Amino acid sequence: MSVASELIRGNTETIILAQLMKGDGYGYMINKAILSLTGGKFELKEATLYTAFRRLEDAGCIVSYWGDETTGARRRYYSITDLGRESYRLRKKEWETAEAVIDKLLAEGEKGVSI
Amino acid sequence: MNEKLRHYIDDLFANAPSTVRAVELKEEMYQNLMDKYNDLINEGKSEESAYNIAVASIGDVDSLIGALSGEKNTVNEKSRKRSAIMIAVAIALYILSPVPVILIQEEYGVMFLFLFAAVATGLLIYNGVTRERYVKADDTMVEEFKEWKQNGKQKNKAVDAILGSFWLIAVCVYIVVSFTTGAWHITWIIFLIAAAVASMIRGIFMLKQ
Repeated sequence: MSVASELIRGNTETIILAQLMKGDGYGYMINKAILSLTGGKFELKEATLYTAFRRLEDAGCIVSYWGDETTGARRRYYSITDLGRESYRLRKKEWETAEAVIDKLLAEGEKGVSI
Repeated sequence: MNEKLRHYIDDLFANAPSTVRAVELKEEMYQNLMDKYNDLINEGKSEESAYNIAVASIGDVDSLIGALSGEKNTVNEKSRKRSAIMIAVAIALYILSPVPVILIQEEYGVMFLFLFAAVATGLLIYNGVTRERYVKADDTMVEEFKEWKQNGKQKNKAVDAILGSFWLIAVCVYIVVSFTTGAWHITWIIFLIAAAVASMIRGIFMLKQ
């Protein structure tokens, strides 16, 4: 596991919420969207995905329902709740704060090079 | 190849408790895995490599499945309490059952005794049948043995409880019929019939298993 994917993994729930902000979706669909958005660089493990789903569901951020596919097996869809939207905005703000702080702190190293 | 994926998922969930949540999670995982597999095939991957890629994408599900067992334990605490209350009430009824015989010195007293015993036995049966199965605390052999033993015992308990109440009813019928008809010389046949029915009940349970 590279450091980059460790960093991303800490934000799994926010990433899933961001996908569900666009509309309801099921596990593989969300993972596929993440894969194509990152140009095939990043993909969630199924286990990580379901753990995040369960945690979000328990927290009331998302709700799930079974689709009524006429062909093949049924899919489990997830839908974001108002609480989930609020949580998404909060988490995004937190990330932006952390990003700004880390950028500032890591930029110190560059200063040394230029001298 | 679908069968192979199904088998793989079955193996992953071999130790999962049989709760609705676990079954749903299993179904969800299987469906998503199939979607992924089919996509990979459409991309031109061979069946073998599509299977390998799909399986590799699952990751470590142990903690996920472990969490399912954890949920079950919290429910267990409640049902244990309920079970204890039912057993206590049943035993109280058994102890109180001779009281009507002492107070009412007639056949009605005996009838009340059996009524008490029937209700108490009913409670014990209900308790035995609805009690939750033993869930392994971890993957050790000891826990596995406990679970196996518990499940075996539970099946027998249900049959025993039903047969127990059945024999009580048989005795009740024998006494009531004998007292009302006075035909004591022939009413013992009830016990022969009861024995036949009892072994039929046992047979039906065996067939069901």
